[in-house]
Amino acid sequence: MTQIAVAAALVVLAIVLSRASGLGVERDLAISAVRAAVQLAAVGAVVTLVFEHAGLAAAFVAVMLGTATLTSARRLRGIPDAPLRAGAAIAAGAAIGLAPMLLTGAFSTTPRELIPIAGILIGGAMVATSVTGRGIAERVRADLAAIETRLALGVPVRVALAGGVRGAATTGLIPLLDQTKNAGLVTLPGTFVGLVLGGASPAEAARVQLTVLLALLAVEVVAALTVARLVVTGLTAPGERVLPPR
Amino acid sequence: MAKTLASQARDGGSIPLARSSQVPVPRIETQDLAIARGGRVVLRSIDLAVGAGEVTAVVGPSGTGKSSLLRCLVRLDEPAGGRVLVDGRDAAELDPCALRRRVGLVTQAPVMLEGDVRANLAYGLDSPAPAALEEALAATGLDPSFMDRTARELSGGEAARVALARALTRDPCALLLDEPTAALDSAAAESILALVRSLAARGLGILIVTHEAQAARVADARLEVGA
Repeated sequence: MTQIAVAAALVVLAIVLSRASGLGVERDLAISAVRAAVQLAAVGAVVTLVFEHAGLAAAFVAVMLGTATLTSARRLRGIPDAPLRAGAAIAAGAAIGLAPMLLTGAFSTTPRELIPIAGILIGGAMVATSVTGRGIAERVRADLAAIETRLALGVPVRVALAGGVRGAATTGLIPLLDQTKNAGLVTLPGTFVGLVLGGASPAEAARVQLTVLLALLAVEVVAALTVARLVVTGLTAPGERVLPPR
Repeated sequence: MAKTLASQARDGGSIPLARSSQVPVPRIETQDLAIARGGRVVLRSIDLAVGAGEVTAVVGPSGTGKSSLLRCLVRLDEPAGGRVLVDGRDAAELDPCALRRRVGLVTQAPVMLEGDVRANLAYGLDSPAPAALEEALAATGLDPSFMDRTARELSGGEAARVALARALTRDPCALLLDEPTAALDSAAAESILALVRSLAARGLGILIVTHEAQAARVADARLEVGA
């Protein structure tokens, strides 16, 4: 209980700092903290049940995928069919990481292993999808005159948007790249900390953490490239014209 | 939208806007073209024919759809009705990228892309010959030393010339110029208009849209809109 109390006090500190500095994210901080508390409490209760039934585990993964899709789709507001595009990118990214892990037996398909690894990979794909998709939409809004200048010079939409796509995808991958480069030096990632606190040896925790981080590199690159392609398609009208996000 | 057709030569003589016998196939032709903006038709029944070596001006106040007309000619927007022909071929049936290389659009405040002038001239081209880039630059009155200048640091007049040179590197048959002198001082504007005439003399068909009498003066023919 002391742990939760101290963490809650830190959230209050963050809200006070946001208010005092005019950052304007107090509401988001509060909602995020309350949502996390409610969701984790619920998960704590549900996971015990899910760990014992494979069918429930599959449903749990589907719920994770659906929630990630809706979260990313909100970030892609203004892009036609945002939920479909976000969902496809997250599913593609997560599948690239998950399939070889399960097929080779690196992780078993038991709910106790499937759910945590699927959650981490879906979460990584969701972040890459949100940041990349939103970045492309913002760049198209901000640079429309330059994009139409390129189109008027006779290049197709995908070429006219290439610079913005590259910038958005790179931005989406920076957090993971930095986290991976500095793993163990600056940060001790969550999987490592969780396993050690749960009683695993540091060597075993490091092995699992490395597996997750390396898999995430492929997951996030695939998710970023997929959403980039799908967003560019969504912003392209017949006749090589660009449709600015609404 | 009321449309007045007033074909006038620069010297005040009357020159028909329609196709002349010396120019059997206009570089750009519109047939009963209608332009919509925000779901409302702002220009209708536009019949233009811009032959090789000719300068035609579409003249009218701001907000009458002149810029939208140019956008429709290169299919950055779709017209509400009518047809656009380029060298006698229906623009709707041409590959949009090929169309935009054949018909160069220079916007009112030309956007310089990142990098130097050379990168701007070469944008979107496969291995352009350096001599071709220099030739395009020279055609707009700029010397080769401009090649290494940062494009986004150019003055308004210099940027206007580089934008014209950039369009020329695609070997166009026609140029569309949106308010080519609006952002320039009088001397720079005169210089750009002289350049427009020299480009027409090379066989290009040039369509200018403008609200300024000064810019319309260089035209062989003019179409007034929104009067």
